[in-house]
Amino acid sequence: MLFSSIPFLYYFLPIVLIIYFITPKALKNTVLLLSSLVFYAWGEPRYVFLMIATVLFNYILGILIEKTRGKSLSKFFVILSVVASLSVLGYFKYADFFIKNFNTLTGLSIPLLKIALPIGISFYTFQILSYTVDVYRGDVAAQKNPITLGAYIALFPQLIAGPIVRYVDVEKQLVKRTHTFEKTAFGIQRFIIGLSKKIIIANTLGQLCENFHSADDKSVMFYWLFVIAYMLQIYFDFSGYSDMAIGLGKILGFDFMENFRYPFISSSISEFWRRWHISLGSWFRDYVYIPMGGNRVGKIRLLINIFTVWFLTGFWHGAEWNFIIWGVYFGILLLMEKYFLAKHIKKTKITKHIYVLFFTAISFAIFAGSSMKDALVNVGGMFGYGDIPLISESAVYNLRNFGFILIIAMVCATPLFVKLKEKLNTNRKIRHLMDALEIPLLLILLIVSTAYLADGSFNPFLYFRF
Amino acid sequence: MNKVKSIIITVIFAVFIFSVSAACYFKPDTDFSYSERRELLKRPKLSVETVTSGEFMNNFETYTADQFPMRGVMRGIKAFFVEKILMQYENNGVFRAEGHLSKIDNEENPYMLDYASNLFTQIVDRYAKDKNTNIYFSIVPDKNYFLAAKNGYPSLDYEGFISRMKEKTSSMKYIDVVPLLSLNDYYTTDSHWKQENITDIAEHLASEMGTDAKSSYTTNTLTNSFYGVYSGQYALPVEPDSIKYLTNDTINNCIVTYYDTGMPKTGNMYNMKKAEGKDPYEMFLSGSTPLATIENPASKTDKELVMFRDSFGGCLAPLLAEGYKKITLVDIRYMSSSFIGNFVNFENADVLFIYSTALLNNSTALRP
Repeated sequence: MLFSSIPFLYYFLPIVLIIYFITPKALKNTVLLLSSLVFYAWGEPRYVFLMIATVLFNYILGILIEKTRGKSLSKFFVILSVVASLSVLGYFKYADFFIKNFNTLTGLSIPLLKIALPIGISFYTFQILSYTVDVYRGDVAAQKNPITLGAYIALFPQLIAGPIVRYVDVEKQLVKRTHTFEKTAFGIQRFIIGLSKKIIIANTLGQLCENFHSADDKSVMFYWLFVIAYMLQIYFDFSGYSDMAIGLGKILGFDFMENFRYPFISSSISEFWRRWHISLGSWFRDYVYIPMGGNRVGKIRLLINIFTVWFLTGFWHGAEWNFIIWGVYFGILLLMEKYFLAKHIKKTKITKHIYVLFFTAISFAIFAGSSMKDALVNVGGMFGYGDIPLISESAVYNLRNFGFILIIAMVCATPLFVKLKEKLNTNRKIRHLMDALEIPLLLILLIVSTAYLADGSFNPFLYFRF
Repeated sequence: MNKVKSIIITVIFAVFIFSVSAACYFKPDTDFSYSERRELLKRPKLSVETVTSGEFMNNFETYTADQFPMRGVMRGIKAFFVEKILMQYENNGVFRAEGHLSKIDNEENPYMLDYASNLFTQIVDRYAKDKNTNIYFSIVPDKNYFLAAKNGYPSLDYEGFISRMKEKTSSMKYIDVVPLLSLNDYYTTDSHWKQENITDIAEHLASEMGTDAKSSYTTNTLTNSFYGVYSGQYALPVEPDSIKYLTNDTINNCIVTYYDTGMPKTGNMYNMKKAEGKDPYEMFLSGSTPLATIENPASKTDKELVMFRDSFGGCLAPLLAEGYKKITLVDIRYMSSSFIGNFVNFENADVLFIYSTALLNNSTALRP
């Protein structure tokens, strides 16, 4: 089930909220688990059993890891959890990728498995790993209640598109959490902003991207327009989902970590990755990079560590070479920054921002491809490769048609409004006026978002690869 | 956020969400959307099979959008937001220019052109060959021909489209009606042409086919407003059109026979029941009719015409009645081409294929 859908907003969510809030505290996690399973089964009826089995398997392993802590068996159990979880992920997500490449290398024609990828498997697998590894490290106690662990892993607000919530961050809230009007109101506000980002901005820009794909008269201008629209679409879609997850979490009494902090205002690529998909970046840092030695190692080892992390970051996003290249591309840029670029770009005022936007635009051209070949065509197209004209009729029309939403998206991708609000808030009268305007504005955004859904407008789901 | 504001936000949104939710759960289903001219999806059947296959969930999503409370208002809000706030040039592919609504259709499908031309050739070879027939072909351009490119919207290369289609049907005599048309000849809210504006086209076609369809007509106007197909898709309020239809003694005295079920049924040139229905344009020869004949008892000629047509032809045919003793209208969107021989006599007849560019570009709607 998608947050940005009528079944979720007006059928599922109201019923779940009523049941959740009238249920005694002791049973709230049961309500969360059951509703999360219904939420998941709505999109993946078959795979809900896989999720239940995964929860039970790791529940047992968590207890065994704790019981045998300090013994070699504990290591065995955590390795078992890691191998089993990654094997399931590997089977569903990467099997065909490996078969395809094996076929290409050997000339064989082993048939592809063509298995549908369980939605959100990459997110919940990483959550499970954070749990069992943290139990092994002694950072958290094993969860004795399978329903509580199930509620954590399957928790519907962040199940299909993150943020990747670590067990250690919500351990206490899973047992005891507070529900206040302040938290609920903040959650409502955050959810509506996220919903609007997804429906009004991301989906509209997605339509431009669709127009690009179906156009016969591609041009350099159209490639750039597409790439800019695509990077903004992904940002608003993904950060919109994260906002909705954080908002729903608040309503249900949880505090999830921030996942995006205006990445496009970054002045370096390393800053970009501290602002973009923060929960994934920090997960790789804490569970891959640092265990490999981080940067407290020799130069060669450091190179290996960085490339491993970025190879895996790319591969996590999709089982195609372009995603791997996308990750490695960032690894190279980060290394270049680390060794010589940073000191030069730091001194500049505007160039550093242009540098970040230019190289992230290239990265999204790679990311947007359905294959490596496609990614290369996208990058080539941005620089006129393939004898394409500079401008085409479709490019001009799409710029006219989507020009204003592109400007809105660009402005909203910066903290301009937040900064402005902070400044205006210093004046008491203006603060009261803004407080009064905020409620109708949120209501309008919710009504307009609903109107888009009722109209059956373009509403793509981008996380089918994750 | 202070507590009072938090309470207000929580209460307002709780009331909103739960009220809309209650309306979603308890609103009786609506059968038909008149503005969109389509059946709305009913609550899908819940069963183990439909749930495990995901069919129930997929249909339920469409169902909830189709049956959303005050859906027409919501569609209007969306359209307003798209046009006035986001300043987009189209909503759901429909745009407004020069007082007209039209739909963007800028991609030529070469397969469709081949499909249509092959089908026409097969029909001619199968039924009209060696029967002393004259074969004609004509194309009605979409109103975008006069509207889209001129106003900066993506447009088909209509000249190229027509020229390619002419080439593929080179064994037929092409009758060009484009120079006789202008934007004013189309309804502002619909894709079709106006009957009162195409008498010159009927005369030109008749003349090119060696007959005379010149006549004088009385113009009649339907009292009800005509909201064309684009007005519903556009979803914002627009001025309606009014349908005018032409009559004279020839038209009034023609014997019109419909073969909707295969059995002949006598009717009228203009179906006044349909004029009051969901699509008043269907009043012209009863709209979607697979086979119909128009017999002119007062005809000065023995000429017969077999007309392969789409909805544009339904509006045109009454104006050709003057020039023929009998016109047989065949709409192969609603009957298979392979059955034509059972019902239509091609001997010594003129055969006219007249189709709109929109249909030719989506010609798989024509049944082989």
